[in-house]
Amino acid sequence: MSSSGIVFSIIAICAILGGLMMITLKKVMHMTVAMILTYFSIAALYVLLTAEFVAVAQVLVYSGGITILMVFGIMLTYHKAENRDEEKVSSFRKLITFLSVATLGIVSYFLVAPVDFVAEEIFVGDHTKAIGEILYTNYIIPFELVSILLLVALIGAVLLAKKDKEEANE
Amino acid sequence: MIHSAWLIPVLPLLSFLIVILFLRNKPKLGSLVANCFSLITFILATLVLVGRLQGDSLLREWNWLEVGSTTITLGFEINALNSLMLFIVSFVSFLVNVYSLEYMEGDDRKSIFFAYLGLFTFAMLALVISPNLLQTYIFWELVGLGSFLLIGFYFYKDSARAAAKKAFIMTRIGDVGLLIGILLLFTQVGSFEYDEIFAAVRNGELIGSVITASAILIFIGAVGKSGQFPLHTWLPDAMEGPTPVSALIHAATMVAAGVYLVAATYPLFEVSQIALTTVAVVGCFTAIFAASIGLFQKDIKRVLAYSTVSQLGFMMLALGTSGYVAGVFHLTTHAFFKALLFLAAGSVIHAVHTQDIEEMGGLNKRMKITSLVFLIGTLAISGFPLFSGFFSKEEILISAWTSGNEIMFFIALFTAFLTSLYMFRVYFLVFTGETSEASSHAKESGSAILVPMLILAVFAVFSGFINTHWFGTYLSDFLLEDAQITVKETHAPTWILYAATIVSLAGIFTSYLLFGKNKTKFGESSFSKSPVYSIVYNKYYIDEIYDAIVVKPTRLFAAGLKFIEWFCVGGIMKTISGCIQFVGWIGSRLQSGKIQTYGTIAVFIFALFILVYGVTNGGLLK
Amino acid sequence: MSSIPASSFLLLAIILFCIGLYGALTKRNTVVVLISIELMLNAANINLVTFSKYGLTPNLTGHIFSLFVMAVAAAEAAVALAILIALYRNKPTILIDEMDDLKH
Repeated sequence: MSSSGIVFSIIAICAILGGLMMITLKKVMHMTVAMILTYFSIAALYVLLTAEFVAVAQVLVYSGGITILMVFGIMLTYHKAENRDEEKVSSFRKLITFLSVATLGIVSYFLVAPVDFVAEEIFVGDHTKAIGEILYTNYIIPFELVSILLLVALIGAVLLAKKDKEEANE
Repeated sequence: MIHSAWLIPVLPLLSFLIVILFLRNKPKLGSLVANCFSLITFILATLVLVGRLQGDSLLREWNWLEVGSTTITLGFEINALNSLMLFIVSFVSFLVNVYSLEYMEGDDRKSIFFAYLGLFTFAMLALVISPNLLQTYIFWELVGLGSFLLIGFYFYKDSARAAAKKAFIMTRIGDVGLLIGILLLFTQVGSFEYDEIFAAVRNGELIGSVITASAILIFIGAVGKSGQFPLHTWLPDAMEGPTPVSALIHAATMVAAGVYLVAATYPLFEVSQIALTTVAVVGCFTAIFAASIGLFQKDIKRVLAYSTVSQLGFMMLALGTSGYVAGVFHLTTHAFFKALLFLAAGSVIHAVHTQDIEEMGGLNKRMKITSLVFLIGTLAISGFPLFSGFFSKEEILISAWTSGNEIMFFIALFTAFLTSLYMFRVYFLVFTGETSEASSHAKESGSAILVPMLILAVFAVFSGFINTHWFGTYLSDFLLEDAQITVKETHAPTWILYAATIVSLAGIFTSYLLFGKNKTKFGESSFSKSPVYSIVYNKYYIDEIYDAIVVKPTRLFAAGLKFIEWFCVGGIMKTISGCIQFVGWIGSRLQSGKIQTYGTIAVFIFALFILVYGVTNGGLLK
Repeated sequence: MSSIPASSFLLLAIILFCIGLYGALTKRNTVVVLISIELMLNAANINLVTFSKYGLTPNLTGHIFSLFVMAVAAAEAAVALAILIALYRNKPTILIDEMDDLKH
């Protein structure tokens, strides 16, 4: 196994480990923290795929932004009993879900396993600059739409989370 | 005046509507309004009677429905019989209205009482001026409704509720007979009009059996309304209503409706000897049967009730023995003296607060006027010479004798004896002798009660003179003028007059010996233990017999049907609805609102699809 | 570097996606469900980036799309949490199976 293969294996194990911890841990806060491991692993994977800009964005958005958002969400809705993710879900449903998901995964793998493209060096030089150029030329309209989406999400989130006037009066 | 006779029933209806809609909670104003309307009605009815005495009959009709070639009409008719009835009904109704002003004083629902009186009077007046059988039937049922409301006026008493229901159901049995009779005539004649039916009868268009059947069916309706045996049981129970209502029901309206109906359809009865005999036999039997029960009752109103039944039997007997005039004559005089007796009894009850005559006594010292008018009423009903009942009863006896049926004549004679016996029993026990405990605090009633009684007393004494063999048979001439019936010249033996007088006096004398002098009280004497007494006192157990042979089997049958309904029909229904509910339950389980369940199912199905795809197309198993 | 087959990346993406899906379907806490959904989006992103390097016509479009996905994911997370907080104010629970007021 080549060195890159070893690195990939380590990264993959870390990512899966983070995911499994997220599933199995008892406390919500721990789960959220476990996810950071996965996010970082995925960022490392992007580096391995020579997508440095995406990797940085991954770290900023996921490890930084979304995780912090989740932590705030947990804290704002903190409730002693409920923040422990008690195992009240019936084991039958868990089994069904597990079987379905496993089937899905296995079948999908067997469907994609034959795919074996050769890796090509798609671009030599500054990825960031290239991405910027494409974004502002080919993808300018989706890019602007995304900025509007983010603005709408910002305003929407503020409006939704704000207390109603009546409630505020109380 | 006679042309606006339709106003007569409309006015009480207006009174009913105004009082019940606007004056429910204003007893003073409501009762006054009702009295005004009642007075105007009475005046109109009097004018119509005067108009009819001077002029001719009147028949006005308007088309109501046209079904194929048949036209059903509505209208009104004024002839001798119904102008007389209009006068009696509106007169008694007016006096009862005045009387109730004081009698119902202090009752929370006084206005409603007067409204019901208006409805009842309206129904009866409209019944009387109906020119056809259909209209008669409509108002016939309305009379039943009015009596139901009034008998059940004290609806918070169980006994009043039961009595109201009983009155409604018992009369309904008769009504079914009447309806069938009307429909039978309609199918044969093609018209509801009295005139057309009588014309068809006269011209021999109907076969005898149809006439007999329809006459007997109509008579069944009259039996129900007039409380003849075997449908008489509701009438004594109807005493649960307020006393003025009893006076109205028993004197002028409800029970008179039956006799009126037979009188109005008399041309039909006349041609069928079987129908006439039926009427006579039922009437005769009812007369003596009710009289014997009345002899032993303790409740003053019940005695009067049975005397009403008995007197109605007399009227039926008269009609059944071709004594058309005698029947109507007795109806007229009876309306006056029975209303008087009831109002006087009401006055007594109002004063002593009990209805048991054995607890009363010596009231003539405390209630002089009431005592006097009750005596007048009693003399009148007993047929004491020169009082109104004397003449009318004599007419009946004559008609019974001339019909050739001696047995009926002697039964009627004996009933006349019983009548004076039990009526004077009431008089002696209530008004004479020692003042009893219940009577010791009695006070004479007020003028609103006394004045109507005094007016009625005058009529009770003198109304007999409208039809006598000495001064002239005015009523007879008047009634037969347009009655469309054949009159047989009768020669009554004069000894009947003496016989009637002797029987009446004998009854009074016996009564004096038994009750006036010795104060025999059945309830306390050894006689009360004998089986004869208990049978008669309990009204020959008629109610119990009906209960055993009609009510109980009906209940049992109903219970059986209920069982079938419950287990067979209901079982099938329950099964079907249960299945549907089960499906619905499953459906609603699916709609749990839990997003993760939905997601799990979706993923499960998707996994199945993709597995199938992988196996069939993706070469998964290769 | 080229020694790593594309299917390895895809397998990792599948595994992460399945973990996310399982978590989204079985976890009761709404925040954890949201995190699981983020994990699924991440798995999709891995695919996008992988195919921008491997494939018939490798180019930078995959990167662009993964960036868009991140932007959408961030917006989604923000709005979802805002909704969650609004819900929590009305009904003090964050258990997803108790938010079933619209059933039947």
